[in-house]
Amino acid sequence: MIFLTVGTQFPFDRLVKAVDDLVGTGIFQEEVVAQIGDSDYEPRNFRAVSSLDKETFDDHFRRASAVIGHAGMGTIAMALDGGKPLLAMPRRKKYQEVVNDHQVELAVRFEALGHILVARDERELPAKVTQLKTFVPQPRQANPDAVIQRISQFLDLVTRSRRSV
Amino acid sequence: MKICLAASAGGHFTQLRKVARGWAGHSTFWITTADVVEGVLAGMGRVYVVGECNREHLLRVLGVLARCIGILVRERPDVVISTGAAPGCLACFLGRLLGAKVVWLDSITNVDRLSLSGRLIRPFADLFLVQWPDLAQRYRWAECVGAVM
Repeated sequence: MIFLTVGTQFPFDRLVKAVDDLVGTGIFQEEVVAQIGDSDYEPRNFRAVSSLDKETFDDHFRRASAVIGHAGMGTIAMALDGGKPLLAMPRRKKYQEVVNDHQVELAVRFEALGHILVARDERELPAKVTQLKTFVPQPRQANPDAVIQRISQFLDLVTRSRRSV
Repeated sequence: MKICLAASAGGHFTQLRKVARGWAGHSTFWITTADVVEGVLAGMGRVYVVGECNREHLLRVLGVLARCIGILVRERPDVVISTGAAPGCLACFLGRLLGAKVVWLDSITNVDRLSLSGRLIRPFADLFLVQWPDLAQRYRWAECVGAVM
């Protein structure tokens, strides 16, 4: 099963429609299931709901062999945490899908690091869907502990200076 | 010591949560933008929901500003820590005016350049962290010690 998710906050009809067209061509060998938010577009070729409760969402994510979604940090982080192959298409400002183009920057960087696959627009989607079938994501080495340590160090400094005043 | 943690609901909030262990032992309260995160924060101090705003909706900015003033004047934090976005930036700025130290952790989504909020708060930040090494090279006053996710 391929899980398509675009978040629940804003619709992303451009991606939903592109995936729908692709499903119509028979490129996917698996079933596609989708959470598409308040979409104006109604997919013809797969099962879609506007929103899933967290438990069902997590379950779909876990069972999926791959995920297709927007290039939001939430979706990317979830895919990396679960070692799930993700094909992301960034939302674009020029289509009023988001307030700025940070998803493009983020997606391109994460793709360069081998963490995800990226389709910059609908035209790149078919080739990337083909790649997705064999894509093995590079695990991410985040280091929250180093950030925690640096902030704690700063807080200690503030505490000491407050005491000495 | 009292710490104000300010982050918009969603990715900004998730990133600030990732470093939550850093302020264990201090008294904390949160400023966030949507009710949805309140449940997640049970037991992590008071939670104030101020609503979302960005530079394109000036009236909303004023509303968030007014609510933040009320909260910060009442709470008087010693430190404000934020990952953004606009409401976090406002909280940092106001906190600073009231004598608090400011820690800014620029969101990981800012890859090639800093967020607008980050650039605005920079002159008022006492510790400015970024999550990509090349950003720290480009902006020499920014520090990169790692990414939270």
